[in-house]
Amino acid sequence: MTKVLIYNTPNCIYCQMAKKFFKDHNVAYEEKDVSVDDEAREEMIAKSGQLGVPVVDIDGKIIVGFDESAIKELLKL
Amino acid sequence: MIYDIIIIGGGPAGAAAGVYSARKKLKTLVIADSFGGQSLVSDSIENWIGVKKMTGLELAKMLEGHIRAYEDAEIKMPEKAVLVKEISSGWEISTDKNNIYQSKALIVASGGRRRHLNVLGEDKFEGKGVSYCSTCDAPVFKNKPVAVIGGGDAGLEAVINLVPYASKIYLISNKELLTGDVSTQEEIKKSDKVSVIMNADIQEILGDKFVSGLKYLDKNDNQIKELKIEGIFVEIGSVPNSEFVKDLVGTNQKGEIVIDHKTGATSRPGIFAAGDVTDEIYKQNNISAGDAVAAALSAYNYLLNIKKNENKNSN
Repeated sequence: MTKVLIYNTPNCIYCQMAKKFFKDHNVAYEEKDVSVDDEAREEMIAKSGQLGVPVVDIDGKIIVGFDESAIKELLKL
Repeated sequence: MIYDIIIIGGGPAGAAAGVYSARKKLKTLVIADSFGGQSLVSDSIENWIGVKKMTGLELAKMLEGHIRAYEDAEIKMPEKAVLVKEISSGWEISTDKNNIYQSKALIVASGGRRRHLNVLGEDKFEGKGVSYCSTCDAPVFKNKPVAVIGGGDAGLEAVINLVPYASKIYLISNKELLTGDVSTQEEIKKSDKVSVIMNADIQEILGDKFVSGLKYLDKNDNQIKELKIEGIFVEIGSVPNSEFVKDLVGTNQKGEIVIDHKTGATSRPGIFAAGDVTDEIYKQNNISAGDAVAAALSAYNYLLNIKKNENKNSN
């Protein structure tokens, strides 16, 4: 099964949009809040080379920002 | 199908025009990239009259819900207008979804988008220390020194968002005074993390993999100075989204659509405009909504006149 992980922050609108997208499409996902989870923050920066949220990890493939078409492609939606 | 009115934009201006147009029972189409306008990313809006405090997302939902309450208003979202052409019956709008829509009158409420600094390093380090969304990215800069560029409302708000996280915040403005909300300025002064640098022009963003500093010209003593920072939040206002209509209506040097501030009329009869895309001085949600009401009522009168003339000609 495809593993979806989103690194996000509580007030980030694009993160909320991404999570709503997953819910609307019945995609199970795990989330890590990088505002409180220091380890997750470092992990996100290392994986993506980015200092910004959201970062979406779909089976090890990294998408920066809420890129709906890229997410759809990786999830074959 | 020819709509009476097409409204381009889903911010406070677009929504206000949509509601007024629909209440006049005009066949209305709203084409919007998203709802909420530039405040969508705001963590806390405290000056929308009638609501003490809400998030940008809440504002967006309110605006969208209000338009959707009317059967006469149709919505295409997310969709972006790319070009407006004049046709015999009015206007033809083509979009990024390769659709074409036609209307008798047009209200341009397409707002603005973030202004960039246009300095060396800005593009290279976007997402690698340069951010345009403090509500999103402030927590990523926990215990790091950062700079906020811009002394207006958005700049001050970015500082507020960063105070709980960053180790040090330089608020940098190219003006002599901060222009943002005075009550927010007072709140910022309470934090000993914040240093304000006025009269400074950003020259370059420095770094290797990520941002490590910035160079600025201190206009007080004409010296180039350097700051060691790891994040830069750019909040220097907006540029108008007027490109798709600029060959039809008059614009000023900034690219803002010049309007008659009594009626919202542009230089081209049948095209009206409101909000941040216009030469309105105060880029404020409440003003955008109010201006759009004027534009919608003017568009309604414009359509009435067209109808009157048609009747005259047919009699």
